[in-house]
Amino acid sequence: MATVTPEELERRRAELARAETRAARQNRVLRLLVAAIALGLLAFPALRGTFSAFNYVIQVLIVIMMFTAMASSWNIMGGFAGYISLGHNVFMVIGAYVAGMLLVYRGVSPFISVFLGVALAVVVGVLFGLVTLRTRGPAFIIASIALLLMTRLMLDNWDAIEGANGLSLPIPDFFPTLGKVPMYYGMLAAAFGAVGLAYGISRSKFGLALRAIAMDEIKAEVAGIDTRRYKIIALALSAIFIAWAGTFWGYTLNYLRPSAFLSVAIAADMALMSIVGGKGTVAGPPIGAFLIILVTELSVWLFGPSELNLAISGTILIVVLLFFPLGIVGTLQSRQRDRLARLRAAVEDTGEAVMKGA
Amino acid sequence: MQWLQILVLGLMLGGVYAVMASGLTLIFGVMRIVNLAHATFILLAAYLTFFLFDLLGVDPILSIAITIPVLFLVGVGVYLVLFPRIENSPRFVESTVLLTFGLALLLEGTMGRTFTGTYRLVRPSYGVESFLIGDLYIPKGQLYALIVSAVLLLLLAALLYGTRIGGSIRATMQNRTAAQIVGVNVRRTMALSFGIGIALAGASGTLLSFLFPFFPASHWEWVPVMLALVVLGGLGSLKGALVGALGLSVVAAFVMSEFGPTWQPMTFFLALFLILLVRPQGLYGKPLEA
Amino acid sequence: MPLLELEGVTAGYGSAPNIINGVDMVVEPAHSYCIIGPNGAGKSTLLRAICGILHPRAGRVLLDGEDIGRLRPDQILARGLCFVPSDRALFPAMTVRENLEMGAFLERDRRVIAERLERALELFPILRERASQRAGTLSGGQQQQVVLGRALMMQPRIIMIDEPSLGLAPQIAEQIFRTIAGFTDMGIAVLLVEQNVRRGLNAAMSGVVLDLGRKVLEGPAAEILTDPRLRELYLGRQAEAAAGSADDGRA
Repeated sequence: MATVTPEELERRRAELARAETRAARQNRVLRLLVAAIALGLLAFPALRGTFSAFNYVIQVLIVIMMFTAMASSWNIMGGFAGYISLGHNVFMVIGAYVAGMLLVYRGVSPFISVFLGVALAVVVGVLFGLVTLRTRGPAFIIASIALLLMTRLMLDNWDAIEGANGLSLPIPDFFPTLGKVPMYYGMLAAAFGAVGLAYGISRSKFGLALRAIAMDEIKAEVAGIDTRRYKIIALALSAIFIAWAGTFWGYTLNYLRPSAFLSVAIAADMALMSIVGGKGTVAGPPIGAFLIILVTELSVWLFGPSELNLAISGTILIVVLLFFPLGIVGTLQSRQRDRLARLRAAVEDTGEAVMKGA
Repeated sequence: MQWLQILVLGLMLGGVYAVMASGLTLIFGVMRIVNLAHATFILLAAYLTFFLFDLLGVDPILSIAITIPVLFLVGVGVYLVLFPRIENSPRFVESTVLLTFGLALLLEGTMGRTFTGTYRLVRPSYGVESFLIGDLYIPKGQLYALIVSAVLLLLLAALLYGTRIGGSIRATMQNRTAAQIVGVNVRRTMALSFGIGIALAGASGTLLSFLFPFFPASHWEWVPVMLALVVLGGLGSLKGALVGALGLSVVAAFVMSEFGPTWQPMTFFLALFLILLVRPQGLYGKPLEA
Repeated sequence: MPLLELEGVTAGYGSAPNIINGVDMVVEPAHSYCIIGPNGAGKSTLLRAICGILHPRAGRVLLDGEDIGRLRPDQILARGLCFVPSDRALFPAMTVRENLEMGAFLERDRRVIAERLERALELFPILRERASQRAGTLSGGQQQQVVLGRALMMQPRIIMIDEPSLGLAPQIAEQIFRTIAGFTDMGIAVLLVEQNVRRGLNAAMSGVVLDLGRKVLEGPAAEILTDPRLRELYLGRQAEAAAGSADDGRA
């Protein structure tokens, strides 16, 4: 540090400024990209009838948006608050069955009953929170698995909803004319809603409190955060768009049965997508959902539908946990942050050295 | 005397449950790894037993002599590949849950691809025969499984309390730093313990292969069962695993005869859920912390 | 050749900054050293970097002239250097006797182990009475005796002890320190870390003062005790931290 000249300081300052503008420009580009994707998704159904693979593409998009909604919601609890759950698809089955039963027995449109399903899911979320949030860390994960399995066993044996055999939903009247487009918009609303909710939380004081809980719950409590209440609210909020997605997924399948919603694989996918994309980030879960569905489709295309998908999911989860525990977005963010911090520190150091030398 | 019949049937399965649970609890006790993939290793051994029987006609009980060493080596290998890397992760236990969950998916998918989803069951002659003692009906397969389990558990106790390796395992379980400073090679002890735990999973898989039908996804039926046994006894406590296994297997047998086989798994789900909420340290263990 | 020699040892945890920075030190056989310094000076970290629980980032740790910086704790122990951490690190579910026997884990000859056990029990008679009691149920002072007895079971040439008086009543602590002071008569070199400067320096022959990860003072214990710079260091640090670090006040 002995040979630091004022010129060196200038050079480092300029480098920092360059890096800061570059980061700002990148952020602007990303924001434009997000807007473009949103507009593209809104407009996509207009292409109906223009190309032969439309039905396939819209189906894949519905699945991606469903998992975007579910992974983003899962992330409120698993990422922001640090409570990893492997039972969040319980909320999905609630949305699906409330809407499905109302459709079968009362002919209510899912676009109305979705709100009932969401309301019930939120209530269940609060109850679930009141009971299970006494545990934390690994105990919470295991309790959530137990909850999933109990729910599955009960629904499988509940005669009123036809148990494990499940029940068919009537084909909606608009189907011949509109195809999957209404379901597409239902799922789009879930995806936008969930990402919007996550974005809102991430920028709020509530989100800050959740992060504090994830970091160190005891310290958060000492700092005056009512951790129990915040966790329960977070769990209830995370139920909303999972139930919403469940409603339209049931409707898309035209068939309800517990195994379609309450499988361990779906619980795993929510966690996997969030972790791959970046736990605790807003952009991570959608990116994770997109990538995992892409890989799944690719593997189906290459090897046919098989258990291989499961093996691939497992491998991705292991590789990410071992080598990129922060996920894609988390790793990129922390790299950018570290770079800027290093440059700033370099400017300060040279500044000090120059002052001392003078 | 029907209750006696149920009690006996429950206790006989309890032996196999205890072997499964002891491996899981050993792995947690020494390394603080919650191994969600434990049941996939059980299935792996069950398939190995199945093919040894089907292709070479090896008696399933004898094939324990093969599944134990094979699964031991698999366990040591898996440990060395997966766990040293996350050793210093701040939320180690939680990371192990996710990591072994990924491993379970990987193994389930691979087994599904390799062995197809067909139900399998190893069918030695004693799989369907039984002894009749008075009014008491004793299936031969279950009785043999119980005897083998008891022998395995005694061998495990002898290993832990009678050998140098056992001493280093117990020392590492009780206090890892202390073990390190008295000269225990902790890394090697952990790799060996993981291998032993997986070898026990292998032994129980061989026994299950002629007691219950299995297919690649059926490990999810066993995950909550094992977790319930181990959490009830207290994670990391071998005595707890034994008590939990015998206790819950009897309760499950009574639930089965009272409410039918459909609701039998609920015993384990509910037990697991309630213990975690009410007494997470179980009977003899320490509470689960991140 | 000195028994143990540190050359510019630098160490820290994970990716965090260095805790100790370029420490040099020489340990002679059957000599005792007390390492003192304010909180955060890096005293415990130094011991951990020597015994292999932590590997130095830079510098060398030479035992009999051989660099042991990359060895595992058990390998270092086998060369005669043992460490007693401040949390006492017992095996709580084992009996006192089993705990002591674990100290001779690296020794395979049963007769040798029995002889060493006899000597340890002679030194700590109370442990003979409690031999079949679980170690987790002992009082703090008795636990400290078990840990020291276990360390002797290893027949070390160097014992490093981190804050043996932690959580002990003053008269119990005095007794522990008298025992430790006697180790040099058995030909064992002692490296002691202690918060209580007076008590620590009284129990040792030499003193080494660390501050912010660097060695700032070294010499015969009695001289260090009266050195004005020591006083300055503690008072200065105290003034800086205002009421913050009450612990240092124990000096």
